[in-house]
Parts: sequence; structure tokens; C-alpha cells
Amino acid sequence: MASQAVAHEAEHHAPPPQVAADVISTELVATTTGASGRFKAWVWILGILSIAGIAALVIKFINQGDDSTKWGYVAALVSFLLSVAGGAPMVAMAPVMAKANWVRPITRIASLFSFASVVTLIMLIPLVAILPPLVTEGARRRTIWYAAPDYSPHFWTTLALVMLLGTGIMLFYSAALPDFASMRDHSTGWRQRLGKRLARGWVGTDVQWRTLRMRIGMFGTFYFLILVFANFLFTTDFGQSMVPGWRDAILPMYHTVSGFQAGVAAVVIALYFSRKYMKLEKYIHLDAFWSLGRLLFALTLLWIYFFYSSFIVFWYGRSENDIATLNHQIKGPMIWAFFGAMILLWFVPWWILIWNKVRRGTTAMVMGSFVILLGLMLDRIRMFVPAWSVPGDQIHEKWLKEIPATYWPDIFDIVIMAGGISLVAFIVMMMTRVIPVLSVWQVQEFNLLSKPIKYIRGHATLVAKPD
Amino acid sequence: MQQRRELDQVYTNRKLLNGQLDTPKWWLPTVSILGVVVLIGVVVIAIMVNKGLGVTGLARPVYWGLFITTFVFWVGISHAGIMISAILRLTQAEWRRPVTRAAELLTVFSLLTALVFPLIHAGRPWRIAYWIMPYDVSRGIYPNIRSPLIMDPVAISTYLTGSTLFLYIALLPDLGNLRDRTTGWKNAMYTVLSLGWRGNPRQWKMQTVGGILLSALMLPIFVSVHSIVSWDFAVASAVEGWHSTIFAPYFVIGAVHSGVSAVVTMMALMRWLWKWDDFIRPEHFDALARLLIVVATGWLAFTFLELTFALYGQDAPEIALREMQMFQWPWNALFIIFFLTAYAIPVPMWLFKRVRTNIALMFWTSILVNIGMWLERFLIIVPGLARRTPFVYTWEAYRPSPVEWTIFIWSFAWVTFLMLLFSKFFPLVPLFEQKESQVFTKDVMIGRAKVPAIVREAD
Amino acid sequence: MTTAEFGTHNWGMVVDVDKCIGCNACVIACQAENNIPINTQDRVERARSISWIRVERYWEGDFPDAKARFIPIMCQHCENAPCEPVCPVYATYHNSEGMNVQVYNRCVGTRYCANGCPYIVRFFNYWEPVWPESLRNHLNPDVTVRSRGIMEKCSFCVHRIRRESRNARSAGVEIADGAVQTACSSACPTSALNFGNFNDPESKVSKMKEDKRHYTLLDQFGTDPNVIYLAKIDADKKVGAGEAATHG
Repeated sequence: MASQAVAHEAEHHAPPPQVAADVISTELVATTTGASGRFKAWVWILGILSIAGIAALVIKFINQGDDSTKWGYVAALVSFLLSVAGGAPMVAMAPVMAKANWVRPITRIASLFSFASVVTLIMLIPLVAILPPLVTEGARRRTIWYAAPDYSPHFWTTLALVMLLGTGIMLFYSAALPDFASMRDHSTGWRQRLGKRLARGWVGTDVQWRTLRMRIGMFGTFYFLILVFANFLFTTDFGQSMVPGWRDAILPMYHTVSGFQAGVAAVVIALYFSRKYMKLEKYIHLDAFWSLGRLLFALTLLWIYFFYSSFIVFWYGRSENDIATLNHQIKGPMIWAFFGAMILLWFVPWWILIWNKVRRGTTAMVMGSFVILLGLMLDRIRMFVPAWSVPGDQIHEKWLKEIPATYWPDIFDIVIMAGGISLVAFIVMMMTRVIPVLSVWQVQEFNLLSKPIKYIRGHATLVAKPD
Repeated sequence: MQQRRELDQVYTNRKLLNGQLDTPKWWLPTVSILGVVVLIGVVVIAIMVNKGLGVTGLARPVYWGLFITTFVFWVGISHAGIMISAILRLTQAEWRRPVTRAAELLTVFSLLTALVFPLIHAGRPWRIAYWIMPYDVSRGIYPNIRSPLIMDPVAISTYLTGSTLFLYIALLPDLGNLRDRTTGWKNAMYTVLSLGWRGNPRQWKMQTVGGILLSALMLPIFVSVHSIVSWDFAVASAVEGWHSTIFAPYFVIGAVHSGVSAVVTMMALMRWLWKWDDFIRPEHFDALARLLIVVATGWLAFTFLELTFALYGQDAPEIALREMQMFQWPWNALFIIFFLTAYAIPVPMWLFKRVRTNIALMFWTSILVNIGMWLERFLIIVPGLARRTPFVYTWEAYRPSPVEWTIFIWSFAWVTFLMLLFSKFFPLVPLFEQKESQVFTKDVMIGRAKVPAIVREAD
Repeated sequence: MTTAEFGTHNWGMVVDVDKCIGCNACVIACQAENNIPINTQDRVERARSISWIRVERYWEGDFPDAKARFIPIMCQHCENAPCEPVCPVYATYHNSEGMNVQVYNRCVGTRYCANGCPYIVRFFNYWEPVWPESLRNHLNPDVTVRSRGIMEKCSFCVHRIRRESRNARSAGVEIADGAVQTACSSACPTSALNFGNFNDPESKVSKMKEDKRHYTLLDQFGTDPNVIYLAKIDADKKVGAGEAATHG
């Protein structure tokens, strides 16, 4: 509003110039080919780390595949990947549903993360094999699958993650159709052939556009529902259910919301690197960081809110159950992970993101995002390592009588974690060779719908809102 | 879809100020009737304070009943204000404009009403003045801030103060307008209240910045108020159905559901009573209904999680409580009505654009939602108390007395009475926002299509 | 129960459920001693009766093998009481002698403490208590008469403890074991209720609580009560029937 323009007079500058539509297509398509030496080097490094990670996973499975208490760090990694790779496409989808314009340059890179959900699945495979069935030693442990067959958690969680991957890819593909057409029209070689195949005769008729928007809306909503469902299943079946007496109704939502926080942080990082190293400053404007920064700040505050909601109920309740849960999760061996997570997921990002200057820039935003991702890893370690450390004979108690001794990660755990994260980055980077990292049609539409104008003595943007 | 209407300033002023400059015919009879109900309620409250809580239906072990349910209900309704005016202001949604003042007003008045209930439900209300004011400091005894019952008034009074300030800052330009159009004692009143508003750039800047700052500051309060109210229940491990970690966000999202529905009710009434068809249009109801679908579905997810984890513990008393709540008379009837009215009837209806733009249907469905949400609070609070396992010896049913019902009805009459009184002196639709939207919206041609557009700040 | 950190006493009770015959003498004694309002029929029907100690009676089995089980329940004076942190005005707190005390003057009657108590041993005065003229002479001058709007509960006859403390202090001796008896424990014909100081290893209650039949009520709430129950011995069962009152 102009009243806001009046309010921010001092910080005003002219809006960035508009770029012509055909220039947008050619330039963005060109980003898929001109990979710099630095890019290639990083792809090699990440590729090697990924292979090492998968090898370590296989070796660990062969050596320790019968002892579920040693798999806590892998479970923490799967939770981390579910949060990051699962949450990032939400950044693409939710603001689009709210008809926000600032998100247009971001949608592609956010939805590329849905391909990285395959890493979550890969890391999940040994966990599914090792997770004890519901009935062990003649007793059935607490579970949400009240009377269902013994292998329900295994089946349903895997199904949910597979559906998440599938829906994410369908969401990506639905939004990418016009861009595959741009690839068909502007690139060469295998990219052009791939673009032609996947564009499926896209020319941009009215019907095609309407179908596109409908698909995005449908898959987007479905993706969100599946994401919440997958978070719910994974945290309950692979986390809460392993610990006797841990009854925490907010845990699935806590996991989901911190997943959004991690997803936004991952998108900020990806955005920063693609903007800087692919020279995309005229397409990715600072207002993308400004809006993402606000979102990240809100999600950071939401993290402490969700965490505190469970803490106060346990701390106050002081029943045997409550005290055991607190000792298990945030005291004892996990106290360092807890404090680390709280400082890195809340305290530090809060103090970084609260400043307007930070949110208008890029460097501090990306540093804050790295801090958040590190904090998230610590938080997942805090939740899942003690959960998996509970020995089989204690799983049927009413509450945890003895806090299990947790262990430091061994070399395999570290290589697996590094490999998993590298593989996510690797996949995202490789996908940018297949399709432009910025959505061509979204950027073109943005230019069509918004026009810089002069308003009284200041600058403003006229944003059209067709429905 | 934001339609564009050419509404010039003269027309806007005349129509939106018709509550202040002339009085509608229905106003005096309605306010009088409401005033009588309010008076009856006040007398009943006085009788109760005089005689003791024995006049209510409360008994061991149901120590909290209708009063606390209604308290939570009104705090829930108050969440409409911040949701609509603050959040939609910060996200620059144009369709909020006619609604903001009424929403903020509903917040302030429902909070005032909500605050009455903890006062009157206590055994010795006349001693409550010492509750949050430190008393007997010479003995070193302060209020127990560990108790959620102390955190409650702190949060609610902070919210009330913030909302009142917010309301006032948003009122200033309209107060200036009214000052310029009235004479006599009214002019004197508006002159004092408008604090010398002239409408120059400096004052507009301060007003805008103040509004934005307050919006941002109120957001954490908005989340924390209903969370603190929910912790009144969640921290008690002795009551089945209460000790769940999910209560805080569950209550907050329920409050947004209930509050935004109350705003829809209010907007429909405003349009009909003051004939503001040009300003409160079907597209506003459409946008609100779409917001409600998202919020209601989120609420449903939280309800599902709460129930799942209640049963997850495989705790016999908890399971028995849920069985009672859902399958035994009279709770089963209340449960079915609750679920139908809070979600199963309104939300599927709202999926259709024809329903969303039909104002009468929106009015009735929003009332259904609030019936359901009141029942939701009742079903959370009372069954757990009525059935305190394992001491079957002490199980008791709760039958609210006529005194409690009278005070319950009084609370609705009181809020409506206050709103109508307010409307006599201050416009319910913010004029300056309305005029701002005229100035900031344009129709542009994109290709061959005429599309509405909004002027936004360039970053 | 824990050893109290300050002061020398940790008052507590041992209730031998095996000896309880359900005669309710304890209930009457408590009512007389503590100026508890008269529980009229109307109040009992409306579940507003006040009895700081109650004897719960449960039936087991069918005729002709029906058995009645009695268990007297009073305020457990929990070390980890759920009623204490929730009172907004600190009207209930844990004193240095291991007792949960109720300060009538401070109570505003929010009833939050009653919601928190899993044993349902806290009572609210819905009406101003009224005694007929003839009964006003029997009110115990050592005990406050509560007005309406106030919570009350078993106080382990704290006025008797104070009286014995004063007497012992002025005589320069310790309180002898058994010198302080609560009204209920002195009225009980079968010595099912025993009151004493857990801090004194030689006291009767300290010795009784070592019995292998001992248990506490609702231990899953982690309240750490100062009332120890001794399970009933059933001739035909190994497990004491008193466990019916605990959580499975």
C-alpha cells in the first residue's frame, strides 16, 4: 500500500527492470547447460560422499542388522531427510495456493527437493527391516495400529513415504510442463528430446492452462495431506512407539512444523547458491529473501511454541510417565543435543532473523539457514537416538524405568549421515541440469501480472490479481 | 475475485456513517431489549455472589462446568480480531478491509466478557482483586505465577490492552471524520477522542507504522493467549482427557475457527442491518469461507490427533472416558451434534462457491460452527471431571442450573449490547480503509482481459 | 514419603485395610472435630457433601459369595502434590513437616486444586454453613469455621499437632510417639488408622510401613503420598484385595 511506501521512504529504491519474455526463456534454459568448474567439482564431491554413505549403510546392515539399538542415528537421519526433502516443496505449494507473487521464482527449486525424497526411502529400507514387529515376546506394544496386523507400521509408513515421493514428483511435473516445452523449444541434444517427450504437446491453450492450475491445486493439497500423514506415521511408528510411556500428542505436528522450518531453510540455501553462482540476480529479487525470511522467522517462533507446549505438560504433570519422558528426551545423555537444538533452532535464528536488514539481504539469511539445519539434525538426534536405544525387554513396561544408555555415533553412522545429506544436494544439483532452476512460465507470468509504476512521488508495483 | 466498484467519497461517507449521523429505526428497540436481558443477567450474578455457588449445578467432582466452558468459548471468539486484522494486514490481503474493525471490536468485547467468568466462578470473587495485584507484600506472598490461573489473566489482559490500542489507532482517522461532521456535545466528544487528527502525511505515517507494529507484536500474544487457557486443563494429570500435549495448538486453531465464523455472522448482520450491500460483498464471504475451510480442516486434523493419542496410551480409564463421551447418553448426543455442527455440515457446504457467496447460508453455517465449538469445549471439560477413575464411588453427573444458563445467555446479550452501543458512536466499517481500497485498486488490461490489480509497495 | 528437610517431623498415616470394618467412626469423629458442615440429604444427593475422610465401599462377587471391600481415603498429603502448583494464591502448600496445608484465609475458591487431586479428597463450600442453635456449642474452638467459597480438606488434625508441639516445647521434651492422634485414628475401633512421625524410626507408623503388604494409592501419578496402605489379606487369595483401589 502506498501508506507503507510512505512509511518506508528512507529505504526506497526503484523496482528492478522488467525482462522481456523471450529473453527469460532463453536465459533460464541456458542455465541448464553452462555448468561451471566449481559446480562440477561439487557434484563429484557430493557424489562420492553419497556413494560412501550408501556403502556404509549396507555394511552397517550386514554387521549390525539384528540390533535395533544401534540404528538411532539412521532413524534421526531419515527424520531429518523427511523434514527437509518433504518440507521444501511446501514452500513451493502453500504460497501458490495463497496466490502470493513473491514465491514465483522459488517454486521450481523448492519442488526439486521432492526428488530428494528418494533418499529418505533409501535410508528407510534398513529401518523397516529392523523395526521390531508390534508383538514381541508375546506382548503388543503401544501403537496407533490398535488391532491391526503386526507389520502395519512397516507397511503403512513405507507406503506413506512412497506416496510422498510420488505426489511430490507429480506436483513437480504438473508445474513443469510448460518448462519442458521451453526446453523443447530452446535447448539442444538430449535435453531437447527429453523436453519434447515430457512436454506432451504443450502449446499453452486456455484448456491446457486451466488443467495445469487444477492439477497444481489438486496435487498440492494432496501433497500437504500426505506430508502430514507421513510425518505422523514416521514419528509415531519409528519413534514414540519404541519408548514405553511416551505419549505425546503434539509430536507429529511438532515434527511437521519443524519440517517446514527446515524446508524453508533448505530452500533459502538452494536459492542463495543458485542466485549467486548462476548469476540469477535479475530474476531472484531480494523480496524473495524478505518474504522467506519472514516465513522462517515465524516458523522459528512456532518451533519453540510447539516444543514448549509439550514440555509444560510433562513438567507440570510430574507423573511417573511424564518425568520419565522428560528425563529420556531432554535430560540425561540427550541434554547436549537438546540445548544445541534449542539454541540453533530457536535462539540463534531468532536473533538473526529479527532484523529487517538481515531479511533484506542474502548472506546472513543463508548463514541462519545453515544454523537451522544443524539444529534440526541435533533435534532429531535428541528424539530418535534415545527412542531406538530402548532395549527390547523394556519396551512393554508402563513407563521407562531406566533411561537407556545412548551412544556416540560410530564411523558408519557419521558417513551415512554425511552421505544422506550429500545425496539430497547431489540430486537437486543434478536436476538443475535437466530443467531450469527457475520456473520459466512463473517468471514470465510474474512479469505479465506486475508492473512497476510511479505513485505520487514514490515507486510502487501494480500487481494484477486475476482469479 | 475482487470486483471493482466505483464508490466515491461522498457516498462512502454517507453510507458508512449512517449509524452515527442518523439512528436506524431498529436500533433503540433492539438495544432496549438487550439491555433488559443484560440487567437480568447482572441481577442473577449478584444473587449468585450473594448466596454462594450452591445456586449452580456444580458438585463434586465436576468443579468446573458451564462458566469455564463459556469462558474458553469467549476467549476463542476473541481470536478473530487478530487473525483478520493483524494477519491479513501483514499479508496485505485486500479483502479484509470491511471486516477489520468489526473483528477487532468483537475481540475487545468478547475478551471483556470472558474476563467476567473467572471472576464470578470463584468462591470468593471479592477477594480476587488480590489475585494479580501483589497483596500482603509484607508477608512476602505473591501470586503463584506457576499456576495457569495466574498466567491466564496476564495473557488475556495483555491481549485486551493490545487489541484496544490497535482498535483505537485504527479508529483515529474515522474519529477525525466524525468530528468534522458533528456539532454540539458529539463534536466535543469526537474532538477529544480524535487526538487532533488532521490527516497530514506525518500523522498517516505514524498511524500506519503504529498499526503494523502492533499487528506484529500481537501475533505472539494471539498464539499464547489460548495456549495458556488450554494449559489450565492440559497440566492436570489427574483428569482423564485433559493431560495431552496437543492442547495448546488444538485450542488455538479451534479458536480461529470459532472466531472467524463469528466474524462471518457479524458481517452478515452488519450488511443486513445497516444496508451496506455495497461495502460488504459476496466476495468477502467467499474469501472468509475459503480461509475457514483451511482452518477447519486443520482443526479436524488436531482433533483426530488428540483422540488418537488419547487412545494410544491404552490406558483403561482414558479409553473408558472416550467410550462414555462418544457412546453413552447424554454425551453421545452432544458429541454427534458437536461433530455435525462444527465440521461435518458447514465445511462440505463451503466447498461450493454458490454456498460461499450466499450470505444467508454463510450466516447460518457460521452460527452452526459456533454451537459446535461451544459443545467441543463442554465435551473436553466436563466428561473428564465427571468420571474420575478409579474412584467410581465419586462419579457424578453434571446438571447445569437455571442460574448458569441465565448467565450464559447474558454473555451473548452483553457482547451484542456493547457492539450496538459502539455502533451508535463509531462506524463499524473503517472508512479510511474503504477509501484506501478505492485508491489502491485499479483495473488493468492484460492482453484482452480486464483484470483487477492492486498497488503494492515496491521493495 | 521422604525425610522432611527442615523440622524434625514428617507426619504420615498407615492405614491397615485388613483391619477396617467399614464402621465409619472415623468419618463421624472427623466431622465433629473439624467443624465440618452438616451433610443434609439434599447435599448428599447433589454430591456436595463434605467428608474429609470417607470410607469407600465396593462390592465384589455375587450372592452368596459377595464381599464388601472398605478403604478409608483422606488427603494423602502428597510430597509431590498436584494440587499445590495450581493454586493462584498459594492457599495450599507443603509445609516443613511433610503436610499439605490449606490456608483458609487466602483461598478464593477457584477449585483448581480439586481438579488436580486424583484422590478427590478436596471439598468446596457451596453454601454458608449453618448449624442449628443447639449444635453451635459443639463447634471445636481450635478449628476455623470455614465460610462459603472456600476449599477444605483433611489437615491431619494440625490443630492437635500444634497443641502437642506447644506442650512438648514448654515441657522441653520431644513429642512422644502416639501423643498426637488425629480424630480419625483415635476413634477407629480396630486401629486400622495409625498416625505418627515417619522421621522417627522407632515410631509405630515407621515400623508398620515396612510391612510387605504396603502400597500407595495411584502411584502412576507420581504423587509420593504420606499415607501408606497395608493390603487386605484374603484367606483364599495370595494378592491383597486392597489392590483393587490402585491402578492396574
